[in-house]
Amino acid sequence: MTRIPGPTGGPRGTAGPGRTAPRPLNRPRPARVRSHRSGAPQRVDGRVIEIVRESWLVEDRWWTDRPVRRRYWETVSAKGANVVVFRDLQTGRWFTQR
Amino acid sequence: MSAPSSSRSTGTPYVELHCHSAYSFLDGASLPEELADAARELGYGAFALTDHNGVWGSMEFAQAARGLGVRALHGAEVDLLDGRHLTLLVRDGTGWRNLCRLLTAAHAHDRDPGQPPPQVGLESVLRHAEGLVCLTGCATRGVHDEATAARLLEAFGPQSLRVELQRPFARHDRARNRGLERLARRLGVPCVATGNVHAHAHRRAELQDAFVALRHHLTLESSEPVRRGNHAHVLASPFAMSTRFDDHPRAVRETALLAETLEFDLLADLGYRYPGAEDEGALRQLTELCWARIDERYSPAGADRPEAESRLAQELRVIDSLGLAGFFVLHHDLLELAREVAVEVRGPDSARALLPPGRGRGSSVSSIVCYLTGLSHIDPVANDLLLGRFLNEELTALPDIDLDFPRDLREVLIPRVHERYGHKRSALVAAFPTFRSRGAIRELGKVLGLAPAEIERVARGADDFGAEVRRDVESALGARRRSPRWEWLIRLAAEARGLPRHSSQHPGGMIVSTRPLIDCCPVVPAAMAGRQIAQWDKDSCSDAGFLKIDLLGLGMLSAVERCVEEIARTRNERIDLSRIPFDDPATYAAIQEADTVGVFQIESRAQMASLRRTRPASLDDLTVQVAIIRPGPIQGGAVNPYIERRQRLRVDPSYQIPYEHPSLAPVLADTLGTIIFQDQVLEVAQAFAGFSPGDAEGLRRAMSRRRSEAAIARYQEQFVAGARRHAGADPATARRVWEMIEGFSGFGFPKAHSAAFGLLAYQSTWLRVHYAREFLCALLNEQPMGFYPPDGLVHEGQRRGLELLAPDVNSSEPECSISPRGVRIGLGYIGGIRQAEMEDLVRERRAGGPFTSLASLAARTALSRGALEKLAWSGACDELAQDRTATSGGERRAALWELGGAAAGHPVPGGAQLALALELPAPDGLRPLDRWERLVADYATTGLTVSDHALAILRPQLPGVITSADLEHVAHGAGVTVAGLVVARQRPATAKGVVFLLLEDERGTINLIVPPPVFERYRHPARVEPLLLARGRLERPPAGGGATNVIVSELRSLSGPARGAAAATVIELGERGGTPPGAGDTEEVGQRETALRAVAPAVQSFASGRRR
Repeated sequence: MTRIPGPTGGPRGTAGPGRTAPRPLNRPRPARVRSHRSGAPQRVDGRVIEIVRESWLVEDRWWTDRPVRRRYWETVSAKGANVVVFRDLQTGRWFTQR
Repeated sequence: MSAPSSSRSTGTPYVELHCHSAYSFLDGASLPEELADAARELGYGAFALTDHNGVWGSMEFAQAARGLGVRALHGAEVDLLDGRHLTLLVRDGTGWRNLCRLLTAAHAHDRDPGQPPPQVGLESVLRHAEGLVCLTGCATRGVHDEATAARLLEAFGPQSLRVELQRPFARHDRARNRGLERLARRLGVPCVATGNVHAHAHRRAELQDAFVALRHHLTLESSEPVRRGNHAHVLASPFAMSTRFDDHPRAVRETALLAETLEFDLLADLGYRYPGAEDEGALRQLTELCWARIDERYSPAGADRPEAESRLAQELRVIDSLGLAGFFVLHHDLLELAREVAVEVRGPDSARALLPPGRGRGSSVSSIVCYLTGLSHIDPVANDLLLGRFLNEELTALPDIDLDFPRDLREVLIPRVHERYGHKRSALVAAFPTFRSRGAIRELGKVLGLAPAEIERVARGADDFGAEVRRDVESALGARRRSPRWEWLIRLAAEARGLPRHSSQHPGGMIVSTRPLIDCCPVVPAAMAGRQIAQWDKDSCSDAGFLKIDLLGLGMLSAVERCVEEIARTRNERIDLSRIPFDDPATYAAIQEADTVGVFQIESRAQMASLRRTRPASLDDLTVQVAIIRPGPIQGGAVNPYIERRQRLRVDPSYQIPYEHPSLAPVLADTLGTIIFQDQVLEVAQAFAGFSPGDAEGLRRAMSRRRSEAAIARYQEQFVAGARRHAGADPATARRVWEMIEGFSGFGFPKAHSAAFGLLAYQSTWLRVHYAREFLCALLNEQPMGFYPPDGLVHEGQRRGLELLAPDVNSSEPECSISPRGVRIGLGYIGGIRQAEMEDLVRERRAGGPFTSLASLAARTALSRGALEKLAWSGACDELAQDRTATSGGERRAALWELGGAAAGHPVPGGAQLALALELPAPDGLRPLDRWERLVADYATTGLTVSDHALAILRPQLPGVITSADLEHVAHGAGVTVAGLVVARQRPATAKGVVFLLLEDERGTINLIVPPPVFERYRHPARVEPLLLARGRLERPPAGGGATNVIVSELRSLSGPARGAAAATVIELGERGGTPPGAGDTEEVGQRETALRAVAPAVQSFASGRRR
């Protein structure tokens, strides 16, 4: 059987030599963000943020070893691009995520 | 309007209009008091409670908010038939009435098959719009379509409809709110912001998540779609809320404007009246009734007559000035109703007909009016009972009247009360079971996805009343449990503790009203058809001023009635318990020797220990005795001084009681200078600190409910100042007396209640002494009741020489019965046989004679195969087994063997296997049960054994272990080793961590005292093992009246004996408990040991009733 290369690795159930583990899509990437006092991002990786469309909060998995606490911002940059970033409320670090 | 509705400190005009408390049952994680308190802290001036489909917490909320200066707004979030939600707020009295009717309608089908969730039709809401304000509902399930909103607008009008905006920090909030704002503009009504609060503080946020998972029967992992996803449901300050809605400032301002228009005050506008309240003729009727009966109770020439007359006149005056005549007439009516029911239930000719239908308990017993109208059977003049608590001129709330009934009578009476006062005008009082350790560990453990076996192990070993889940976890699983999930269980269980879990029914409280009750409080159907429950518990009902009648089922009253009936049947003697001698020496001898197993109240381990010291010799002494082992006297430090003074007085009659202050002598003389009765708190406050009766009653209420620390502190100041002014007492003395009162805290019996209980304690002891067989039989038939499990009662009876006979299909009735030889255990004790099956069996036996074989039993009755097997395994068919070749002990297996061919209806492919009257060959090599296996079979089927005691079987293998009878000959301080079956485990909150275990061996009982460090070491076995071996030191306190205790230093668990061997049976336990590796070396021993653990009789466990 020919291994089909692709972003998700090999097809399911084909364990064997050469198989790569599934790779999560949409993994958050660290971002450099300058934010307003209110918490809203003003610059993301150098891009100027024009509009905040929405902001939401995710607090979950607190009962596990890896709790999730994130404040998300859905924004539009000055050039018209959609930019979604979140701040990890445990570490204070910013990430982009689509 | 009294308080401004905007917040006080910040000036932000925000009022919370949408908030859930724990009374939304698993969708809210804080008590109304906690919310009110947090609201005040955060600076809210007004605050609304809007639980799901109910107002269970509204009275509690109103009371708490008033004390804190927060204006309470009321409402509810109702479910529509299509699953959408509306938030309804009460504007005025009409609105409250409409809300109560809507909520009653929402719950009308709660008990229908399939138990549909509470919901109400939109039409119904529209019809009940008057006086209510409607918000369009929450973010996810609100009414957001224009058509429905327009209909709401038509019914509620622009003044009373608001479009509700929420900002739960979910992904589409802003878009949704912009849409809702457009909708509001089209409708021409303002928007209003709400917080949809579910917790008063961040520390409850996780519990709310867990509750949601629990409500949906999911784990936290799998409940992600139904949870809120974040903790924005925690109460925030008005300022934070206005920031949250900074793009909707008008919706924020609207909260305060709208709140201004909600004028309803639950504490003032309820409009409740009890039946008879408006009756002009009631006083005349009551007066006539009392004077007509005074001759029956007090002979015209008697010494008590003048006092009785003057007291009656005084009471009638007080009743008139309070306008309570109608209330007493109502109670009299109720009792007459009970009398009618009694005649029906008991039959006119039964021996029970001599007994009153019910007995008053509580403070009503102190009233001569109650005595004359038959509500109480204690003569208040002869018993010197103070009226104060029940009736005084400053009375602010209606007094309660509590009536105790035998259980069967009560069951008939409750629906009859519904009939008499109308279904719309009467209801049972609600009760709210709260989260305690065990339930919280089981439910929250499941939600956290912990291993079921481990959860169960921790839960079984948990102290339900303790707040030490961490220690429960560690002692059951060892300190190795450090995973975050177990840490969270510990934390969540602590936070859940005390929150209501669901709504339920109070055992006997009823409320009645002149106007339909559903105008005052919503009513929901009860589990039993024809009964209904108000949404408020007894405290809320009392705060609402509802007339509450407690119709309580008292097991001992039922047992005493049965006993009297049984005596009449078997001995042809009619006993009138109100006319038995009350100075019977044999009865008092039994009481003083603590030979009281099974009698009312004075049978517990603690009572027995104190009986030997106090040695009661009269009904007055018993009145004190039943009151003494209560948290109030114990914490108030009254018990030991009372007992010591009593012992000194016995030795030296000229002993002077050391009163704290001379002014206390008259009120505390009966109790030798200590506070034992609740009414003494009132009397001391009046005699010592010059309190008015109303103030004294206020003090008692403040203490017994612990609603307000501040209120108690105010009373303390008033008390100390009053003591100086009124009695000239110095502050130090005043504080000592205050401490006596504060320690008591109201957790004690009123004297009148004690008098009623003391009398029943005497009557039951008298029956036990003179009619032992009938009394034991009656007790066994009224289980569950009292301190001892049936197994303990049976063994104790055997030690007194009573013969107990095992269940037998040819001799047993469904219930236990008196046979010429002794007490025959009834078939009802064999679990798994239906009532109808038992009745059918007995009917067939009467009609067709005894059963001669298992085949005849199976053929002549309609017993299911399962029931037949249970009968055989319990030993009830031993006489029928044909195979007599087996030695003694083989019958049960033989009977089961024979059933294989005899029992009908065994389903096989193609139909049912018919019973064939075949001559079965004798079974080959069926090994007879040994004594231990028979014991396990007995416990597994009937929960008790009438043959060998477990310790009698184990004794030969326990060298060096002495029996309870031998303890008598052991010197004080000597080391001993004892063993037995655990009858009771107790860890009273008042004993500073000391645990009391009561063991039973074949000769009697042994008191173990386990000091806290020893308990910590052997926590798990001490909590769960049925058979224990204890090493320790014997203690026989000089003042203990001969009682012995073993102060334990070491505990071991015992297993069943290895078959045919004299092997050691002591399971050496690891220090942290649990069964260590190597226990039960062979599979056989392991099975035999666990077999008993699984079926051991229920014990009195840690003050929480009996359980395995």
